Amino acid sequence: MKVVTGVVGNDIHVVANRLIEISLKERGFTVFNLGVNTYLEEFLDAIVETDADVLLISSLNGEAEGWCRDLQILKKQYTFRKDVVFMIGGNLGVGEMDPDALVPKFKNYGFDLVFHQVDLNVGLDTLENYLKAHA
Amino acid sequence: MSAPNRKLLFDIGSTYFKMAENGTIRHYFRDFNRPIFDDLMEKCGDTIAKYRPEEIQICSSANGGLSTLIIGLSNSFSLKYAINIAFNSGINIIDTVLYHDIDTAKPPVEMIDVVIVVGGIDGVGRIFDDRLFDFLQDCAYQNIVYVGSADERGYLSEKLEKLVVLDNIITDKLKINEGALKTYLTDLYQADIMGKEDIKHLYEITANQIYSTPYIVNRALSHISDRLDVADPFIVIDIGGATTDIHYSSDLVNDNIVGEGGYDRLVFKKLGVYKSRESLIHTARQNEFVYELLNYLNVTENILEEESEAATKVLMQLAIFLVLYKVSRHHSDYVELKLENLNSIVLTGGITKVLNQEESETIIRFFYKKLLHFHQIPGIVLDKNYEIWTYGMQEFTNEEATKELS
Repeated sequence: MKVVTGVVGNDIHVVANRLIEISLKERGFTVFNLGVNTYLEEFLDAIVETDADVLLISSLNGEAEGWCRDLQILKKQYTFRKDVVFMIGGNLGVGEMDPDALVPKFKNYGFDLVFHQVDLNVGLDTLENYLKAHA
Repeated sequence: MSAPNRKLLFDIGSTYFKMAENGTIRHYFRDFNRPIFDDLMEKCGDTIAKYRPEEIQICSSANGGLSTLIIGLSNSFSLKYAINIAFNSGINIIDTVLYHDIDTAKPPVEMIDVVIVVGGIDGVGRIFDDRLFDFLQDCAYQNIVYVGSADERGYLSEKLEKLVVLDNIITDKLKINEGALKTYLTDLYQADIMGKEDIKHLYEITANQIYSTPYIVNRALSHISDRLDVADPFIVIDIGGATTDIHYSSDLVNDNIVGEGGYDRLVFKKLGVYKSRESLIHTARQNEFVYELLNYLNVTENILEEESEAATKVLMQLAIFLVLYKVSRHHSDYVELKLENLNSIVLTGGITKVLNQEESETIIRFFYKKLLHFHQIPGIVLDKNYEIWTYGMQEFTNEEATKELS
């Protein structure tokens, strides 16, 4: 299975990004890591170029809300050759916000799996189960 | 008997011949009523006669450059990488089609020198289909090259006559791989020169490959700081008669492209001050800052209609401003340079004959103050002798430059 990953927006949390890459590889995924400071369009372009199965976006500084809200619109501009799983995790909100509202909000943006302040391994276990269920 | 390192260098431009001999550079304005070769021999024939063909090296932009149509799978990888390689190979005219939009894309009206098709890392298949062939049927082109996923090579080769297949320019890690396509395009440039009646006779005086001038300038960039007072990161703005080129340190771009040379090139094909004068004025008039700029220079819009030395100076200043504007964050296009990080701006080409240091600083200071809100500006270096291209030529050994010319 191929996964495109990276940190969205003006976010330079490179250590977390590297940990995600290592963890994915440990689980047998082929990883295309776009690194930090990545635009949403670059993620989708990478899916097209690699024929990836999963997009895993991480965000630590809480900017994802602004950067990812156009995902649904953007998806319509692409033709993917398979059903791609869209996943996001990390620290998805900052300041005054309702943590319980974050997951539905990001699902509404177009993500299949959303993890706010959830342990990385829990998130990846969930991803693997999701992939098995939808195989 | 000739000395081993003797070299006579020529840059055959659209407006001037430049000849470099023993560190001395002479410029000759072209006689447009005569073929290039005849004009060159009349002006420089005595000097040329003193050298063997192996000792003469030529770069040229006088054939107008090659036109390219790039069809790619995505903006961030296929198209961006192919554009980068094409510009760095000296290609001037580039049109692009995003494969997703190929159904609605309009085929180019003019004959294309080379079509580049690219998409996918190796291992990815089922990328291209009949839509590609339908589109290409409506295009007039002379060459076509495929530099995408290895899995599509057989299918495309079956369907497209004369398809040249080269290494994928996208690596398995989604990085750029420029080698094979760059060589192909520079060789194509040479073949183009050899086929152009006006220029092909240049091979009568040299035994070496004739490279495109922008390619040579790009090769010179890593040597600039050895000879001029330039600090990295820097840009080189080459404002010529027909086009304006900008060469920049890759460090100035927040980008996924990490090429081999460390310096990239961008071309503005309609921002020259001689052959492209009208389009330069048109572009200037559409710029939101131009009237403020003219006021800052103490001139009125009427000067754009004049044919005078003062008007040429203003046009040159406008060209500098427009180039900086087009690579700034105010104009998100192919690249956005971190101009606030610049240490040096090198001005070369015809501009150094027209503008002095103060006039160049004036316009760059306006740009930095008005658009970036900076009071400090980068160091400005005028390549007054127009010698940067010679650094790139001297980098070649005779063995490297000489190719079998069939």
